[in-house]
Amino acid sequence: MLTKQEYLEEIEQIIVDGDEEEAAAVVAEALEAGLSAFDILNDGLMTGAKTVGRLFETGEFFLPELMMTGRALKAAMGLITPVLQAEFADNMAGSDTGVVVMATVQTDIHDIGKNIVASMLVATGFEVVDLGVDVPIKSIIAKAQEVNANIIGCSALLTTSMPFMRDLVDLLKAMGQRDRFKVMVGGASVTPLFAEKIGADGTAPNAIEAVQLAKRLIREQRQQQAVGI
Amino acid sequence: MLNYHEIMDRARSGPYIKEEDWDLQKVAMATRRLVKKYKLKWDPEVIVTADPGLADTIFEAGLELAKEIGAYSRSSERIIEFEPGELEEGMRLAPQTLVMGEGKDARTLYARKIMDERLPLVWAGNPGAPTPEELFLPSVMSWMQEPIVDLVTCGTLVQVDGREVRTGDPIEIISTRRELQYMRQGLKRVGRPGMGMLAAQSSVSELGDLAAAHPDYLRPCDSHLVPMLNELKMDNRNISRAVNSLEYGMRNASLPCVIVGGLGGDAPGSAVVNVASFIVANLTCLADYHLCHPIHIRHVATTTRSVMWVENIVQQAFARNAPCIIVSDIYPKSGALTRELLYETAANAIVITASGGHLEGCGSADGNAPNGTGLEARFMGEVGHAVARQNLSLEEANTLVLKLLQKYEHVFDLPGGNPGVPFDQAYDMVHLRPLPEWQRMYDEVKAEVREMGLATLV
Repeated sequence: MLTKQEYLEEIEQIIVDGDEEEAAAVVAEALEAGLSAFDILNDGLMTGAKTVGRLFETGEFFLPELMMTGRALKAAMGLITPVLQAEFADNMAGSDTGVVVMATVQTDIHDIGKNIVASMLVATGFEVVDLGVDVPIKSIIAKAQEVNANIIGCSALLTTSMPFMRDLVDLLKAMGQRDRFKVMVGGASVTPLFAEKIGADGTAPNAIEAVQLAKRLIREQRQQQAVGI
Repeated sequence: MLNYHEIMDRARSGPYIKEEDWDLQKVAMATRRLVKKYKLKWDPEVIVTADPGLADTIFEAGLELAKEIGAYSRSSERIIEFEPGELEEGMRLAPQTLVMGEGKDARTLYARKIMDERLPLVWAGNPGAPTPEELFLPSVMSWMQEPIVDLVTCGTLVQVDGREVRTGDPIEIISTRRELQYMRQGLKRVGRPGMGMLAAQSSVSELGDLAAAHPDYLRPCDSHLVPMLNELKMDNRNISRAVNSLEYGMRNASLPCVIVGGLGGDAPGSAVVNVASFIVANLTCLADYHLCHPIHIRHVATTTRSVMWVENIVQQAFARNAPCIIVSDIYPKSGALTRELLYETAANAIVITASGGHLEGCGSADGNAPNGTGLEARFMGEVGHAVARQNLSLEEANTLVLKLLQKYEHVFDLPGGNPGVPFDQAYDMVHLRPLPEWQRMYDEVKAEVREMGLATLV
């Protein structure tokens, strides 16, 4: 039988190794052994994910490692999310993570950047619904409504696909839904000025900063909800 | 050669696999295994390698990857499988020469060798860089008018007649045709109407590509892009581009933009994926020539150490094992009116020329802004010609590149990059000449590079 600390260290290492099967098995064992889901999340899974993020940022890890960590986290989160939701609903409501619907907008099929951001968001505790590429803006909005998302994240690499991000914001306004969702935009040619011009809530130059932006937007949204805006 | 109907049939009926599993289980895992099997490594201090064994091993690993996994159709979620003999035939039949353009302006691309003393062809332009309509004609003319330039390309129109261009929208037809009208007009105005082009850059979907396949626009003696998606993927849009060339006959430029640090992992794995992509692109893209354009996962630019290493080793791998025409892109981080743009251009041109490629560029400021001019295209050509004329050894080339890296590598740490200024702030728009400050930078950097060891740079 492992100690609590040994379990957490093992989980952290499994996340760094990106071992999907092992992640599910050891997290199940740790829950069975009485570890709290919150501890597993914060001191095992997230610590491992932060290590992977740092190694990716410094060029020691690459996209496959990030994707494997994402898969391992997804497997682990599948087990601990119901426990967290049942036991720590209040804590979750106060956290700075939430649900993000992501897509590469219609007519664009480039998704590497979006996938990296999605992996990093998952790795930092967000629930991500990734709709893939070439997604009509009305489908993005419909999915965001369906899953009650906090954030819509859309990307376009092609400059000639970027106008569809403006259309998304405009359509949200026309539907009276603009205040319901925060909108993040991204892509190689997307600048803060562009984001501002189209009325989005922000953009970020890389995946690490995208996570920071998403957390900030969630905090803003919760503050706005608290004061009834 | 495999009939293209057969490729389309396989794209429709090959084994099904989810895209995520293709990425991770097929591309990433197979590449990782091959990198281990062949013990592939790179040294960031050796950008231009003088190790024939390494080039051969990278080639062998890339061929093994292509044989093992083939390509993927994103439209049908099917694997396009190839027999080893089909891939080998594709390499054997790869064009060794290719005439581009017509009349007195025609040029012949050829499969270059490592340290080839023949001059590389200079293909000038900033392919894909978003360009406002009012800047389009003067900027392309700024490189069309350069005597050292053999072939031309261009950015992407982002507006026509004041309207935003949207992919897949009817306006894409107008923008692609407008781009070609400007290109043909520009070539006539500089007195080189027959010069070959890589164009229809404003066509992102198949719509513009189809609209431009007409002798008034993109001629059969010009080329268009047939891209592969990351990694080793096609879709029906890009298959349509290949099909569009079948009867019309325009040249197909295969473009797999392998992401260095992406699914292939570090530089050696990315080089393996790039080799596999070219081998597969002979068939899926009906490639007449290959565009070598690896992208750095964070910095984008081709002038980073790892990306230049990949360009170097991929070109050497093919020059030694399966000669074909490779044109390599130069996409510097920096833009017009910065000294770093010139240092980056010089380093990248040295790597490409010494290791067996032709030159295309510059996609200045990451090809992400209309911040490119004819002056850096001229410099790219001058450096490339000097490398060939001087018959620079691979070791000498590496020494020079390392010196140049010291001059510009800091730009990768600048928060907003180093985009410089748009074309109209670097050139005299009336006479289409570099502004004095830009000209002065060019003169100074050129003298500096000559002093560094490229003595024949004139």
